Amino acid sequence: MIFTAYHRKFKWSANAFSLTFLFFALLLVIPEGAFAQQKRISGKVIDAGTKKAIPGVSVKLAGQAAGASTDDQGAFVLNDLSQGQSVVFSFLGYTSQTLKIDARSTYLIELTSLATEIEETVVVGYGRQKKRNLTGSVVSVGSAEIEKTTQQDPISILQGRAAGVQVSSNSGAPGGEMTIRVRGNSSLNSGNNPLFVVDGIPIESNSISALNGTEGSGLNPLADINPNDIASMEILKDAASTAIYGSRAANGVVMITTKRGAAGKPEVLLNATTGVSTLTRKLSVLNSQQYREAVLDSYNALPNPEEPYYTIIDSLNPMNNGDVDWQDALMRSAKQYKVDLSVRGGNEGTKYAWSSSYLDQDGVILNSNYKRFTSRLNVDFNISDRVRIGQSVSYTNAVNNRTNAGGSGNLSIIRSLLVRPPNMSMYLPDGSINGYMIGQRNPVGMALYATNLNKSNRIIGSQYLEIDILKDLKFRSNVNLDYIAMKEDEFMPSILDYREGYNTGAVRTSGNLTWGNESYFTYNKSIANAHNIGAVAGMSFQRWRYDRTGLNGSYFASDDIRTLNGASVISGQDVNVASEHAMRSYFGRLTYDYVGKYLLEFNLRADGSSRFGSDKRFGFFPSASAGWRFVEENGVKDLSWLSDGKLRFSLGSTGNEAIGDYTSQGEFTLGMNYLDFSGAAPTVMPNASLTWETTHQYNLGLELGFLNNRILFSTDAYLKKTKDLLYNVPLPSTTGFEYVTRNVGSIENKGLEFSLQTRNLQGPFTWSTNVNLSLNRNKVTSLPEDVLTNGYIQNGAFHILQVGKPIGVFYGWQFDGVYARDADNVNGLTHGANGPKFVGGDPIWRDLNGDGIINEDDRQIIGYAEPKYFGGISNDFSYKNFHLNVFFQYSVGNEIYSELNHQRNSIVRYNNLSTDALSRWRQQGDVTDFPRLIRDDPKQSDSRVQSRWVEDGSYIKLKNVNLRYSLNPDWVKRIGLRKVDAFVTGTNLITWTKYTGFDPDVNSYSGLRVGLDEGAYPQARTFMFGLTLGL
Amino acid sequence: MKRTFKYIFGSALMLLMISCSDLDKEPISNFSGQGFYKKPSDAQAGVTGIYNSMQSTFRLNFAYWGEGRADNVTTKHSGDPLALQTNALTPIITSARWDNFYTLISRANYAIKYTPGVFGEGESQLKNELLGQAHGLRAIAYFYLTRIWGDVPLVTEPYESVDQNVFVDKNSAQEVLAKVEEDLLFAAENSSKSYSGAKNRVIFTKGTAYAFLTQLYMWQKKYDKAIEMADKVMSDSQYSLVAMNDWNDIFVKGVSTESIFEVGYNEVQTNALRILYALGSDSDYVPSARFIASIETGDLRKPRIYDVTEAQPRKIWKFFGQGFKDESPEPSSNNIVLTRLADIILLKAEAHANLNQPTEALDLLNRIRRRAGLAVLDEAAAISQYKSVADAILHERSVELCFEGHRWFDLVRTGKAISTMKPINGLSNEGNLLWPLHESIRLRNPNLKQNEFYN
Repeated sequence: MIFTAYHRKFKWSANAFSLTFLFFALLLVIPEGAFAQQKRISGKVIDAGTKKAIPGVSVKLAGQAAGASTDDQGAFVLNDLSQGQSVVFSFLGYTSQTLKIDARSTYLIELTSLATEIEETVVVGYGRQKKRNLTGSVVSVGSAEIEKTTQQDPISILQGRAAGVQVSSNSGAPGGEMTIRVRGNSSLNSGNNPLFVVDGIPIESNSISALNGTEGSGLNPLADINPNDIASMEILKDAASTAIYGSRAANGVVMITTKRGAAGKPEVLLNATTGVSTLTRKLSVLNSQQYREAVLDSYNALPNPEEPYYTIIDSLNPMNNGDVDWQDALMRSAKQYKVDLSVRGGNEGTKYAWSSSYLDQDGVILNSNYKRFTSRLNVDFNISDRVRIGQSVSYTNAVNNRTNAGGSGNLSIIRSLLVRPPNMSMYLPDGSINGYMIGQRNPVGMALYATNLNKSNRIIGSQYLEIDILKDLKFRSNVNLDYIAMKEDEFMPSILDYREGYNTGAVRTSGNLTWGNESYFTYNKSIANAHNIGAVAGMSFQRWRYDRTGLNGSYFASDDIRTLNGASVISGQDVNVASEHAMRSYFGRLTYDYVGKYLLEFNLRADGSSRFGSDKRFGFFPSASAGWRFVEENGVKDLSWLSDGKLRFSLGSTGNEAIGDYTSQGEFTLGMNYLDFSGAAPTVMPNASLTWETTHQYNLGLELGFLNNRILFSTDAYLKKTKDLLYNVPLPSTTGFEYVTRNVGSIENKGLEFSLQTRNLQGPFTWSTNVNLSLNRNKVTSLPEDVLTNGYIQNGAFHILQVGKPIGVFYGWQFDGVYARDADNVNGLTHGANGPKFVGGDPIWRDLNGDGIINEDDRQIIGYAEPKYFGGISNDFSYKNFHLNVFFQYSVGNEIYSELNHQRNSIVRYNNLSTDALSRWRQQGDVTDFPRLIRDDPKQSDSRVQSRWVEDGSYIKLKNVNLRYSLNPDWVKRIGLRKVDAFVTGTNLITWTKYTGFDPDVNSYSGLRVGLDEGAYPQARTFMFGLTLGL
Repeated sequence: MKRTFKYIFGSALMLLMISCSDLDKEPISNFSGQGFYKKPSDAQAGVTGIYNSMQSTFRLNFAYWGEGRADNVTTKHSGDPLALQTNALTPIITSARWDNFYTLISRANYAIKYTPGVFGEGESQLKNELLGQAHGLRAIAYFYLTRIWGDVPLVTEPYESVDQNVFVDKNSAQEVLAKVEEDLLFAAENSSKSYSGAKNRVIFTKGTAYAFLTQLYMWQKKYDKAIEMADKVMSDSQYSLVAMNDWNDIFVKGVSTESIFEVGYNEVQTNALRILYALGSDSDYVPSARFIASIETGDLRKPRIYDVTEAQPRKIWKFFGQGFKDESPEPSSNNIVLTRLADIILLKAEAHANLNQPTEALDLLNRIRRRAGLAVLDEAAAISQYKSVADAILHERSVELCFEGHRWFDLVRTGKAISTMKPINGLSNEGNLLWPLHESIRLRNPNLKQNEFYN
């Protein structure tokens, strides 16, 4: 009935207005009868053991997100119920109870304390397990946590909320890329992402964006998932829980489970939020006058001073007589709104969860915008008493109007707005935009007139069939699919170029398909109520295909026609490529426990991958774990203050196959053309002996509950050793190849994780706290001799890899200040052998080997990107109808290499400088730490990788504050609704840090070049207001 | 029970489906390393791939290597131009990289190894031509390598397995030059005599081999052999000097009758000629005052070489045409002429001069001078004007072949690099004539020692 009405009304116009409209339409179509014959029930909730009343127990209809709660006397009242409906009573530390409403109108509910029974379950690979029986290390983030945020993608939500999970921002742009690491980096080949599994489907989690790739910031494929659809996210961390995912699990597994329907009356929920984002801070730059002086200084410092390029300091030239604050010109208050509509319900035979959402989010940079429509349907059918089938399907349409904001290219907006000459006029006298001056594009022009458009359509779907073959034996088979179709357009109009009529455009379409099947048997048997045996055995295959088509064009007839038919020169045939990858696997699990006290588990997975040579194709990944719930032991059981206690240990191995699809075979690349003749050339050196990376992991965990679990503490210690690392070993250029991929070296990650949940206050005013803290120590433990040339491997421009050091160490020259006068260079240090001497105003480089020459041999490690510890602190307060969540997130001891600061403190290419440059060295005797300005310094003061740009990146951030007010249920019912909540949320409110850039939560590259700030799109401060209406 | 059996059967069937899936995946859009050379057309594509890397090798650096350190240009441009012009070579300048040469060599080594296999038994004209080209292009790469860096590793086999030694040592310049000679002789034997149409003068031919053999023997001071090779070029009717009016078109339009071998470029496979010579405000190079002064009065080439309308010329017109005004630094599609008939004629003249055969030498020199509208020189005039016949020829090369990437090698070959450049930038050490090895070369292969001067 509702569905037909829905289909009739709903036109796929996919905008928020129609969704809102739809909600009210639904109100109208719900038959009057739905409200008839409704009754009022009341009652009291008491502790089954102590028989005392429990205040604050959540009382709600099954499957609904919100409801009422018990008062100080444990009493509750519910209106408008009908017989047969289910009401769920839940309270932290107690087993939830479901009440089926019968003819009675008063009830006494006895809740059992979890001190004697923890029945909470968590999602694990190929099944669910009781939390109390877990022997692995799993951290869970539930929908209650998710609802407190207004972040629009699942990864951001995990930041600070799960011990052992480190999340950093590559780009603060809407839909921008995030980096997530579970227990550190364990691979050199930048395949460090965990495996993401949504409702049992391993999905694509790497950015497939094919344009803008060199800028370093891709898109976040997880942003295709609407957080409001998520019931829980479980992060599997140790080998016991991940080994069943074998070769893709070395970096952990994130299991995302979406909400499903429950039997009962349809529950309609409308959630509407709107808000505004602003830049968290501005960075200081020189004004026009200060800038002109700086340019003159930089020229006059040359050995043979030359004339500055004629227009740059000419304040009468209309091209550069401006005084522009580029940050003000380009940054704005950005609005966003989102509407979510969901309907969940069903009966014993059919259950459904339907949802739809629309997000329209502006970025803080002019003209950047992200629109996302998501839709999901999860259905489950019992087609007989022994057979169940079901389907989950989600569709996402995203349109991302991007700005070219990250990275180092001339196109980067963030960097460009900080280094553009302030005197560059925004407009020319004729009113047109001043698009290009002296090698630099106008950032405002870039935002207004350039195109960087990314559109994607994604379907994630799965179907399952579940058969109860015997009472204890189940069979389940899933067919699953994840398909992303992406189209990207890029255009740089001629008004932003120095060349008459020169404009460039590019188009890419990508298709990324992965599909597969997983079939497995599950067996569970309890013998004599003491021996509990469980088993899983199954097989799976998965295939991937990636297609990319695209062309580049230039010399378009007009800036207004941006499709490539308008281009007079076409190139880029080489971007039309496809690749495939397949995997076949066998897996199994055995669990055994004796009266829930002694727990044992074994997992095994065998994976075969097409990426490796035929004789190295299969890998085996076993794990074993044990748990001891010592709280059940005599003597311990009677301790009144100890309500839970478990010790667990696991060990096992997992793998990583994140390399190119055909790397082991070597590659001859087509498109190596000469004039009109088609050519081919060897571009990837083959290595037939290539195989998996293997990670051995050991985990020791302790879980404790005190005072009826008012205090829950859990800690894990782990050691992860990864060997046979897949790495692109640099080759001497005499081979004709840049590198060869080999299994080399090993890495170790070890760490500690703590989490503490406390219910500090109970009663009418409740306060609970959730704290987590993680330490990870990463270390490269071996690299083969033949890849080390100077005892290390250069890793990008700023980092090295060295045995005994973590991934993410910065390597360069030590900056020890500035020579005040020529005579201060008492050792007569020179720039290179036979080079010029350093003089007053030059930086003091530390001469490490004391040879009087500053050269490559004087470099050392100048900084560490790895934090000493990181985590989050969440506090929840509630009083009557108010709920407040205050969430802090922190990272301590990490350093950032600010390439951005390098760019804005050196005078190459006439760029503007930070106000630090006002204190620059100008004449003999000046004591300062800012060197003299010198254009294209032959002694390379600016271009060296140096300690001057290494900064402390520690921070603590008031990440999220959420205040929710629930309207009185009685009042709400009178207007025919189930619930009405209003809330405000603030995100990125305050950051305490010494870091001088926009935001210390920055990581310009998703790979191993960690802790680098190239000028990424800054994260915004956001205030959101929202309403939740339930029906 | 029957029903249970049905379920078991159904479940087992699904498992069977999985076990049939296939794990052998061949590349779709490219060939695997081992799977490429199968047909003659593959060998053709493999050889074309060598030219592709030659485009990147020379697109900018032909001028850095051949002109940057010499006296015909001057620069205000930081980076390589300034470092080279002021003789401040360091291991981080980009022209100290040799990567592109070895990419070219690697592609040639693959082609040389695998081309015979795809043709099977029996003689094939195409096979010989392809092998001739691959050897010839490899020789060009090594010839430049050793002239720029001296001793360099001589790699003649493709890299196909991680078991091969990648940390090679240097070979002596003599060994390398011997291989260059061997490859060029092979190329002269096997290459096609000529091509018409799109391949005209942009594909390696017999004539190309003889021209580079002439350059090689001159470099080695084997003057008789140089003359022999130059004669083979000059007797080939497809090569003839163009008229003075068409002189710029050798470069502007390309594939002139004077051209022997040029690296082809087009709208998408571009080079940096404008950035080097014609950016106006900020090009890498402008003609040096010394060069301008050295041009004889009445030389018809002068207004064709640079922007004579400016007192301090900012643009070189030679490659773009007289009166060229466009200042945009867009990439250029002009071909880069590596060797042409005037080069060979003057080299032959120089050989004769060195063999003390002034009549033959002056005869050849005057062919070039006449075209330039200059008076012919007799021996006395040559000596009075330029001190010797050989010097007159060197001067002629400096003007005729200016900015084409010959000058520095001419100075080194004739032993005049130090005497010419010392007053300009203080060049004084023989070891300094070589380039340093780029630091990335040594970072990746510690067996390679830095050239001595730069230690």
